[in-house]
Amino acid sequence: MGHLIGKDYIQDHILEVAKNIVLAIHKAPQITGRTQIEAEIIWGEDLKPILEVMAPVANVMRYVQWDYETINNCLKKGESPIVIAIGGKLDRSDLAWNCGACGFDTCKEFNAYAKETSGGGQLGGPCCNWKLLDCAIACDWACASAWQNKVDNRIMGSLGFALGALGYLPNTNVKLGLALGPARDMVYYSREETQKVMSYEMDKADMVRSVPTMFATFAGGGNPMYKTKDDWWAPPELMNIGFSEPFMEALQKILFEQIPEICVKYSAQIEARYKKKK
Amino acid sequence: MKKYVEDLNFEGEEFISDWPFWSAQDIRRKKGVLQAARLMINSAMTAPFAGGVPQIETHLVYGQAELEALARKVEEIAHTNKNWEEPFLYEAVMVRDSDVIILIGNTRCHETPLDAGCGLCGGTLDCGYFYDKKKQRYGLVDITDRSSKRMVNGPLCSARVDDLGYAVGSALWTAYTLMVDARPFASMGIAGQKLGYCPNSGMVVGVPVAAKAKNPYVDVNVDYHLINMDKVLDSARKMYATARIIRGFDYRKWIPKAKKTGKEDE
Repeated sequence: MGHLIGKDYIQDHILEVAKNIVLAIHKAPQITGRTQIEAEIIWGEDLKPILEVMAPVANVMRYVQWDYETINNCLKKGESPIVIAIGGKLDRSDLAWNCGACGFDTCKEFNAYAKETSGGGQLGGPCCNWKLLDCAIACDWACASAWQNKVDNRIMGSLGFALGALGYLPNTNVKLGLALGPARDMVYYSREETQKVMSYEMDKADMVRSVPTMFATFAGGGNPMYKTKDDWWAPPELMNIGFSEPFMEALQKILFEQIPEICVKYSAQIEARYKKKK
Repeated sequence: MKKYVEDLNFEGEEFISDWPFWSAQDIRRKKGVLQAARLMINSAMTAPFAGGVPQIETHLVYGQAELEALARKVEEIAHTNKNWEEPFLYEAVMVRDSDVIILIGNTRCHETPLDAGCGLCGGTLDCGYFYDKKKQRYGLVDITDRSSKRMVNGPLCSARVDDLGYAVGSALWTAYTLMVDARPFASMGIAGQKLGYCPNSGMVVGVPVAAKAKNPYVDVNVDYHLINMDKVLDSARKMYATARIIRGFDYRKWIPKAKKTGKEDE
């Protein structure tokens, strides 16, 4: 006999679904059969350091802002998304295939390069591309598993960056985060949570900034016009693409000052968790 | 405009079996696998991709001659690298044992990267690792020289390779859901690309599909390229005829019978 009312038990159930998803991650077929994949489940208060790292990056990267606002607003409402941290050890090739996909003639050369540069990118890297395929198949199985359990989800590089900065999954060099739930339609697509912070003007600006990549106006004159208004020809506005000192300064400050400060605050605590497990 | 005429002739019977190989009943079975493979391709196309960018192309390969050509290419590649030799030779057997092969390629990983500075390719904070090694002008990669001494002409945009993995993963997920056997292979992808399949792709993965009593892609024996169903059947053909010759008799006049034992008399 029983009677379940409300939504709390659904949240508990999403956690059980998350465990099923981790099972799918580890069951996913691999091309090499040698790729080390790890996964962890994080939710509630434990998401706060991750969000703290995402917050300053969200100020300069729109896609991080979408993810940050969505997760943060859900958390504020008491509907914590559950994040599955997925990592792969992809910066060493023990295959000796010497296929060239990484840009080097041999796996040995790649390994020597990777030893010097590992973890330098936003999402980690460099990668043996065959091992990256294995990791991607696992991530895809995570998404498919969530989908088949009817839980809204999205795989996020923004979460991966924060996980890497904070030292989660220390045995892996590439990390991504799969955000799950809460239990409703369209959390991570057509995002309701971002509607309050994303104005019409911001949306319009994003569209306008994309125009140069679409070669929207005649470029033969060498200085194409820029369509920013209805009467775009009167007077004409011309493209002026150049180095932006203020933007680069802001980015450098975020990446090399603000984020390290946040990481220092939490890294000992996170590192201790892994030490305890040993 | 041609009007769609509905075919309401819904009656018939189909005999389906996996024996003998390539018989009408076996080909009917293979056609079921072909339908599953087409659904797998749909799943690959709708996999989650960075930015929702279209970047996947596929080739479906089936038929005796087509699979044989692919298997021979895998064998040729096997002998170019000691570390590939045995596994790739095993996988060539799997090609011949497959009903359908799906080749899934990424059309952007070598030419139009994500340009997000993710660092997956070179571990840096920008896309310089990729562009520095490519022939390009103002970020537009010139791929017209398609010659390469490498099996895969890297470097590649690893974010796009990551997306290729999602496509392969979704195809495999659907295969598992439909209870057809399938696994991802580098050997078949590289061989398919060398044969000209997925012509616009920088990297290709092969996903063979089969619906047989024994999954062709697991539980292989040692020296699988020498001892496998085709070879065993051919051995039987070779030896059985000789066994008949050794002790022939005129069955119209006399057929050897087993000697009666005392126990049988009781």
